[in-house]
Amino acid sequence: MSRRLALTLAVLAVSLVSSRAPAAPPAEVVIGAVYPLSGNLAKVGNDIKDAIELAAELVNDDVDIPVPLGKGRGLPNLGGARVRVVFADHQSSPEKGLSEAERLISQEKVVAVMGSYNSNVTATASQAAERLKTPFLNADSTSPLLTSRGFRWFFRTTPTDDEFSENFFKFLGEMKKRGKTIKSVALFYENTLFGTDVSKFEKKYAQQYGYPIVADVAYDAKSTNLNAEIQRLKAASPDVLLQASYTNDAILSTKTMKELDFRPQAILAMDAGHVSSEYVPSLGKDAESVLSREVWALGLGAKKPIVRQVNELFRKKTQAARGQPIDMDGTSARAFVGMLVLADAINRAGSTDAEKIRAALESTDLPGDSLIMPWRGVKFDPKTHQNTLGSGILVQIQDGKYVVVYPFDLAAAEVRWPLATWGK
Amino acid sequence: MKIGIAAAVVVAVLLYPLVLRGPYPQHLMILVLLNALLGTAWNILGGFAGQISLGQATFFGAGAYTSTLLFQHAGVSPWVGLVAGAALAAALALAIGYPCFRLSGHYFAIATIAIGEIAGIAVTNWEFAGGAVGLFLPVEGEGMGAFKFGDKLGYYYVVAAFLALSVALAAWLRRGRAGYYWRAIREDQAAARSVGVPALRYKQLAIAISAALTAMAGTFYAQYLLFIDPPSVLPLSLSIQICLVAVLGGAGTLVGPLLGAAVLVPLSAATSVALGGSGRSLDLVVYGALIMVIAVFEPSGLVGIARRVRRRISAQR
Repeated sequence: MSRRLALTLAVLAVSLVSSRAPAAPPAEVVIGAVYPLSGNLAKVGNDIKDAIELAAELVNDDVDIPVPLGKGRGLPNLGGARVRVVFADHQSSPEKGLSEAERLISQEKVVAVMGSYNSNVTATASQAAERLKTPFLNADSTSPLLTSRGFRWFFRTTPTDDEFSENFFKFLGEMKKRGKTIKSVALFYENTLFGTDVSKFEKKYAQQYGYPIVADVAYDAKSTNLNAEIQRLKAASPDVLLQASYTNDAILSTKTMKELDFRPQAILAMDAGHVSSEYVPSLGKDAESVLSREVWALGLGAKKPIVRQVNELFRKKTQAARGQPIDMDGTSARAFVGMLVLADAINRAGSTDAEKIRAALESTDLPGDSLIMPWRGVKFDPKTHQNTLGSGILVQIQDGKYVVVYPFDLAAAEVRWPLATWGK
Repeated sequence: MKIGIAAAVVVAVLLYPLVLRGPYPQHLMILVLLNALLGTAWNILGGFAGQISLGQATFFGAGAYTSTLLFQHAGVSPWVGLVAGAALAAALALAIGYPCFRLSGHYFAIATIAIGEIAGIAVTNWEFAGGAVGLFLPVEGEGMGAFKFGDKLGYYYVVAAFLALSVALAAWLRRGRAGYYWRAIREDQAAARSVGVPALRYKQLAIAISAALTAMAGTFYAQYLLFIDPPSVLPLSLSIQICLVAVLGGAGTLVGPLLGAAVLVPLSAATSVALGGSGRSLDLVVYGALIMVIAVFEPSGLVGIARRVRRRISAQR
């Protein structure tokens, strides 16, 4: 009798436990995002914030846009759970990045973290996620070092500076074939992780492709005067200038180049500042014909209508949030796609379990046509977790707009070469 | 009474991470202890001896870089690196102090800013030390011997021990001959020298000890974050924060830096948690405004406020 009682109790207990285990799926899935929301990168950080929120809205609402999870409400495999994003500001500090990632994971109970734009903050924030066994998706830091650390929980969708740098020299080779004389290059870059890393690859490929470097100038992105640096570049008179700058310094350097009348045949910029939404409005005509590597351009909309659709929504969103419509740029587009890649993986995992999400990220295979990118898709390398289907493009500022000019098969217009004289 | 409070604080600090187990509250407290350590080190030079330094990041960076480079290139244990970093920072401090202590008042402070900035730029352009890219330490291989822990507890007790050590050292120095000499130098250097206080030698002693303790904190920071680059260990903002912790708490007193760290760090974290995600930089504005309020209403710092409160209570009795 007592035995039967015990058995009944046991069955009851098991049924209680098991009825709780596959429990009703959560009403919402919380994702953390650690970005620079204040200081001199506040503008970029807020663009990213709006882009990520837009992506979450497309997942949560039933929209007729062919992005992953656009149709239907929420995450279907989690019973339509909504995605909510909690943002944290890292103020461009690696220490804050680490602690904010920890806070989001342990206090806010986020199931995954996105971040963090600055490569050095991504380095520490992703380390916190690695220790706490939480998936970390990076959509916008291009330092190749980050995917060489052998992390289990770190995934990167954007191509790296290594790939982008080589792309420059392939492009220069094509231009030579078209009869341009390009004999020398100069390097000009801000002196933190981003700029110096870029310069290393540019040096490597300049040598490999046979372009002598006539000037190699590093500068502090926070400096308020770049006269001496531009003077040095001018004295070296390179055919092509390869530049890597953040926003304020990109604008300042262009103004200084005008003041000192430094004009190479072409300026090839490493996105970041040169493609931020402030660059063209602050410089007007002086920004004309600058070339930049990009992962994205509005001009891709000519071949991919989805780009225009998403950009329209982004303009509405920024209008509502900040009082003025802002077009997407390479950074916000990558953040947007990053969020969708993460949502797609969580949905396929069908669970908020960290290990299941990690496994789902590893088996990610999104086709290029569902993305607003020129990429062939998103698929992570099984070891490094670097997206293997990413690729870069070159855009040129033509009449105030970023126009795709390379690779030539995706181009919307011809390259303007050389740079016109100032003000023309 | 005083001993009772001190004992209660020590017990509370020791129990804190066992009660609040999440990594974030533990991280916050680690930052409090680290800042208290840095403030105490600054206080020996700036508070006791009256030599305002705005270049403490130089010593912090020396500690962080010495242990990290020794580990990376020679496999030296970070504990040995810690001692080497402290020794190097002390030597560096003596080399800085020798010419700079000839400057008095504000000029010494300005010179230390310049030295800090030079250090930052030099390391940024120094390929061997990782340059602008910085240095990564491997995440694997945890343990006390490796000065690397899988969870926060290990770091917590290590930095608590460092802090206890430096507070004890500061208390001992303050009560001894050095303490009296420093006070004399701080109040009036010319008068002190006229009665036979070897001012330069004792100022050198203060900066060397201050630098060595700051370098210890630097090594701790490198082991804790496992990544260092010039903007994170050699910025002017760090030097200023160190000074702020001690001055806001109450320069020249033993508890001042502790109190300063205990208030400033949570304040900065709270404003950033509450307002940082909004993307309007409001948190920094609020943080700055609160610091200004304290500075304007009580120039002798939080210690002054505490004293005033105590006086009022005893007056009411």
